[in-house]
Amino acid sequence: MNLKSKINNKPWPYWVGGIILAILNIILLFTTGSAWRISTSFLYAGVGILHKLGINVEDWYYFNVYNNGLDSGQTYFNNNIMLISVAIIIGALISVLFFSEFKFKNIKNKKQLFFGLAGGILMGYGTRLSFGCNIGAYFSAIPSFSLHGWVFGAFMFVGAWIGSKILFKYIL
Amino acid sequence: MSSNKIEELKKRRQKEIKPKKSQLPYFFFVGFISFIIAYYFLNTNIRYSIIWTIGIMIGITMQRSRFCFAASFRDPIMVGTTSLFRAVIIGLIISTIGFSIFQYIQIGNIANYSLADVPGQIHPVGFHTILGAILFGIGMVIAGGCASGTLIRIGEGYAMQVVVLIGFIIGTVLSSNHFEFWDKLFISSSKTIYIPKHIGFFPALVIQLTALSTLYLLANWYDKQNNIMADL
Amino acid sequence: MAEYKLDCMFEACPIPLLKALKKLKKMKIGDVLIMQTDHNCSITNVIEWTKKQGHYIDYIEIGEGEWEIYIEKAK
Repeated sequence: MNLKSKINNKPWPYWVGGIILAILNIILLFTTGSAWRISTSFLYAGVGILHKLGINVEDWYYFNVYNNGLDSGQTYFNNNIMLISVAIIIGALISVLFFSEFKFKNIKNKKQLFFGLAGGILMGYGTRLSFGCNIGAYFSAIPSFSLHGWVFGAFMFVGAWIGSKILFKYIL
Repeated sequence: MSSNKIEELKKRRQKEIKPKKSQLPYFFFVGFISFIIAYYFLNTNIRYSIIWTIGIMIGITMQRSRFCFAASFRDPIMVGTTSLFRAVIIGLIISTIGFSIFQYIQIGNIANYSLADVPGQIHPVGFHTILGAILFGIGMVIAGGCASGTLIRIGEGYAMQVVVLIGFIIGTVLSSNHFEFWDKLFISSSKTIYIPKHIGFFPALVIQLTALSTLYLLANWYDKQNNIMADL
Repeated sequence: MAEYKLDCMFEACPIPLLKALKKLKKMKIGDVLIMQTDHNCSITNVIEWTKKQGHYIDYIEIGEGEWEIYIEKAK
């Protein structure tokens, strides 16, 4: 048995992942001055496309309050948040390819497609109201000592409970 | 924990299985390209280079440890296991310490700092946070992954998660378009609460670490109760 | 002893685990459930859950990103 098959396949324990993610988030804060966020990159992708189609998204109310606009010198496709999101996809790809576990998984049926799209829209709509997803408004917000992180975390359980009910009723 | 029956089945099955095709060439290809990108940014924009490298490491860590923020909320409710939730709490404890050091360096010596100068994610809290959290919670369970989980699964090759991403993009664009309505309704009247501003820096740190440790113990106790939400 | 097969290919996150739970409830002690899945999370969360319940479990990889999980009901 060579080294590769020794480290092969066994997933890491969850707590190892938790520790490494926390350390990476701290390094990110120390080096760039801002914590890890994800969902805003999805917004930038969306409005970036609208912008290319000739719609004046900068005039939207959203981009003119709460520092939601871009930093100077950055565009919708060229900014910190977008870069880290792309890097995460590539990182996951590198990780599966190393263990030869990559498989293209097609959509199983229309039901899966519908619930995936509906779930995505609900998540997306929620992130703007709560100023982030469960990274920006939870995993980075609680360590920043902001109360909204705790509120978001607590009520996420309520949402997850409702979602579980829906899942049991319609998807399973 | 295995049993004789399982060992037998495994042996029988092992003979039928074709050897795995190695995907290492693709690994070297993708790895090489991302290294080139990191190197390119090193010469043009060092911050981008750091962000790119950390992003790749986050991706690898989350994929290898099967980390999933959606499951950390869902599993305690659905099947009564909290190991993932406890892992998130451990992460929160460590990052609380790290973030507090950074915030102390930035604002610790300033008597009257403004909230805009505090590094990190600090935003208004109010009814909009509750509504957003509930919408997000429902969406994350029925879509089978949160924002970070969706990115990881796209990397793993799920076509389904690309659909979730498209939905996510549609949702954020719609919501930011309606933002004026929500701002007038809830957000503009709610406060931004940065806990150390109200009770002092070190009390906030101590209280937060105590609260997180208590949550950890609570989750550990809950896991041992072994209850399942529904009789399927 | 009986063998049951469960096909969980192309399923999204919690579904493989929930399907396995449902099936395990109907099985008798000593029966084996053979579960085919291509979901990376299954090999951790299904295993964690069944170990906690005290059933026997093991898994092998049957292809690129495909696993077969064996669960013997113990109680």
